[in-house]
Amino acid sequence: MKEQVIAFELNGETVEAYTDPALSLLHLLRSRFNLLGTKEGCGRGECGACTVLVDGRAVNSCLVPAGKVQGRKVYTIEGVTAEGLSRGAKVHPLQEAFVESGAVQCGFCTPGMIMSTYALLNDNSSPSPEEVKEAISGNLCRCSGYKQIEEAILEAAQRLKAQDWQDRNTGKT
Amino acid sequence: MSYTVVSNLDQAVEALAKSAGKARVVAGATDLFLGNLPSELVDISTVPDLLGINRDPDCLSVGAGVTHAGAAASPVIRLKAEALAEACREVGSPQVRNISTLGGNVVNAAPAADAAVALVALGAKAVLLDLSGGHREVAVEDLYANYNLSVVDSSSEILLRFLLAPAVRGEGSAFLRFAPREALSLPLVNAAARVRLKGNTIEAIRAVIAPVSPAPTRLNETEKLLLGSKPGQDTWRRVEYTAAAEVDVRGSMLRCSAEYRHHLVGVLARRVIRKALERALDSKEGGDGR
Repeated sequence: MKEQVIAFELNGETVEAYTDPALSLLHLLRSRFNLLGTKEGCGRGECGACTVLVDGRAVNSCLVPAGKVQGRKVYTIEGVTAEGLSRGAKVHPLQEAFVESGAVQCGFCTPGMIMSTYALLNDNSSPSPEEVKEAISGNLCRCSGYKQIEEAILEAAQRLKAQDWQDRNTGKT
Repeated sequence: MSYTVVSNLDQAVEALAKSAGKARVVAGATDLFLGNLPSELVDISTVPDLLGINRDPDCLSVGAGVTHAGAAASPVIRLKAEALAEACREVGSPQVRNISTLGGNVVNAAPAADAAVALVALGAKAVLLDLSGGHREVAVEDLYANYNLSVVDSSSEILLRFLLAPAVRGEGSAFLRFAPREALSLPLVNAAARVRLKGNTIEAIRAVIAPVSPAPTRLNETEKLLLGSKPGQDTWRRVEYTAAAEVDVRGSMLRCSAEYRHHLVGVLARRVIRKALERALDSKEGGDGR
């Protein structure tokens, strides 16, 4: 395996990794950066547990070769949490809404769900229930049954608007 | 493995030439880990020449690097190539559509790739660039060598864009698929059609079904049945029968039994042609700028 240096922005910080570019972004995040919030479910783009944002768009990090993120902006669940902390909250309002709506059971799908939601709410601050379903259609949950997740997302949209939550540091162009 | 993200076509051609056949072109790369990894990859997904959606009066040009999400959201594609917008909305999941490209959907050569099915129904041609700078245009349905094998050699050719005739007044197109779930699900059958009317008579039609052979497949007999006709209530049963009878379907463990697929071919062919026809009729009434 030939390794190469890959430089990118990770949760707002410029980072470099010396790695096999065929390593998936998922494994790069988990093994090199110790960011364990991003989960590996199916490993083949079918479950959405590994969802992160690349240049502001939700992608399956298990399908993205590390070489592809050269020069890009990658945003993970840890970035979302840090955003909450930086505002003096315990977590991001999105995470709070998930917890309070009972949208988390085993929790394995939750980071991916939240990243898909985050991308949705960046584009559309007042999504309809249909738009919410569409946005999380690439994320599987095997315990909650989706209803509470959909409610959490609609609730989160309300809270973000009420709090005028901005500074979305995702680099979407 | 080496992975090179190129920022223009000259760099892409140079990287491919230098590798002497070892490097492969990659764009969205969403299927990369599902197969054997090549030793060198040239990532063309950010080359600006491949990202345009341009409309002339006679020709709609859609870059091969346009993502499925980008195509589905494009106002021009939604208006002038509606089947393509509909098909792109159905590929994979939002996460996959955000990164997977139209060019990849075709060169990956899966037999029921949604966007490819729509492109064939719309009569799209692919424009290919070779390493000596030469261009060739090939109809999308002629790009399939076998199941999951394209005639495009991605070590020495780059698919640049698709060219198709934009919808005119009196013309409509549509795409439909049938799958066990609404997202993240392989289609059991998918279908697309393009219909042009003169008065109430069908003046031109392309109807396509997949997966029944390596490439999205034209329903020649069904098209013949409808061409020059004025469809009425009694037409649709014959369309369903003719479409189902003219293709040879196989059952597959991955999708469904041959019997079920045979039934679906007829039903989807009828529904998609009818939908395209309804849109053609609506467009004659105007109001949408066609």
